[in-house]
Amino acid sequence: MFSIILTWLIVAWGAVSCIYMLRCAWHRFPRRDVDDVIPFLYPVDISLAESLLDPAAEFEFRWKLRPPQFRETQRKRMRLYLELTRRMAHNATVLVAYADAEKNSQDPRRVSLACAMQEKAVEVRLYALLTRFKLRLWLLLRSEILTSKAVLPHLRMACDIDGLQTYSALKVAAAAAFVELAPEELDSLTRSL
Amino acid sequence: MKLLVWFIPLGLLASLLWLLIRKRAYEACPCFFSYVAFAVAADVARFVALNYPRPYFATYWITEAGYDLLGILVMYEVLRSVLGNLTRAWWARLIFPAFLVAGVGMSLARANVIPSRLGGIEFYIVIGEIAVRFVQVFVFAGLVTLVPIVGLRWRQYPFGIATGFGLYATVMLLTTIKFSDFGTRFKLSWGWTSLVAYSVAVLIWIWFFSVPEKISTSSRELSAPSPGVLKQYKDALRRMR
Repeated sequence: MFSIILTWLIVAWGAVSCIYMLRCAWHRFPRRDVDDVIPFLYPVDISLAESLLDPAAEFEFRWKLRPPQFRETQRKRMRLYLELTRRMAHNATVLVAYADAEKNSQDPRRVSLACAMQEKAVEVRLYALLTRFKLRLWLLLRSEILTSKAVLPHLRMACDIDGLQTYSALKVAAAAAFVELAPEELDSLTRSL
Repeated sequence: MKLLVWFIPLGLLASLLWLLIRKRAYEACPCFFSYVAFAVAADVARFVALNYPRPYFATYWITEAGYDLLGILVMYEVLRSVLGNLTRAWWARLIFPAFLVAGVGMSLARANVIPSRLGGIEFYIVIGEIAVRFVQVFVFAGLVTLVPIVGLRWRQYPFGIATGFGLYATVMLLTTIKFSDFGTRFKLSWGWTSLVAYSVAVLIWIWFFSVPEKISTSSRELSAPSPGVLKQYKDALRRMR
């Protein structure tokens, strides 16, 4: 009985995937051009992220604060990092969509730069996805582990991807891919990422 | 009418093989190319042996076993090419074996619930066939799930291959479940459903391979940017710091 129910679930998963692919093929996504990138980006403060993931900072908080206060502070820091990863994931989505459109270019150098940017953007999405899942779980469980162990520095790596390093690499790749922009627009892009 | 049933998938597979050769797809997807070449040869062999029951019986089961083996190899190729670009994590290498174990487990569990009338080697070939269908659905549905989550581009060869197999495998699993409910009364619909699903799968492959795949990795052999472009790039990096 259990195997039949499982088989039906797998068939349903396959059928939903077929419908999704049909939808992808049917709806031609509007191509995101260079004008649809900068206004859609959310700035990510990398130095703030670095400070949140710093083990020394976390140790200092634990040393100075009483357990209930530390716990409350940790939750606030987690929520803050959750917001930063949300922005990272959003920016990566925008850049992936732009890179998709750039791949239609006749210039092989632009195509190559778009590919390099897209690779980094996909890595950032993967990192953000796993990190946000962990953070949401920790916030949901209100685990006691938050008062006894350093947790935020563990979020630097997910799936063998160093999140902040990869995001910085994405910024460099984006600067290279958008090098044809006017200097003020390029400046705006680097500030928005 | 029977000839038409033979000729539709065979004609579509021959067109696909010609397209794969023309697009040099054997370089990008060697296992899938082998699968299509084998499918054309297997269909021709079955057609030739159609009026000779014993040779047809042997040809049918040998080619079914070949389909099982190549089907698994194609899924391995698809998963390796998509995940290879996505992550270098150690556990990524365990995904395919996990799918394989789950597929075989589901197939054996099914055989336990609904005993087969087949015996000997044919029984194991059918078990393998159902396991391959499960693996194909796992790979296809898993990759499609990654499209909205990670932002993967779906218009690429491995996704096309997985979509064709995924659609066919989903329909065949569904008809297998229904077949166990209705018994031999379901035979006619089984044949037609299988034919239509397989033809649609081949059409999907033709559609995906008819468009040239865009460059998916950055080239290391491109010419250096001009000094002006390099200066702009350096300025941008300086502002970023």
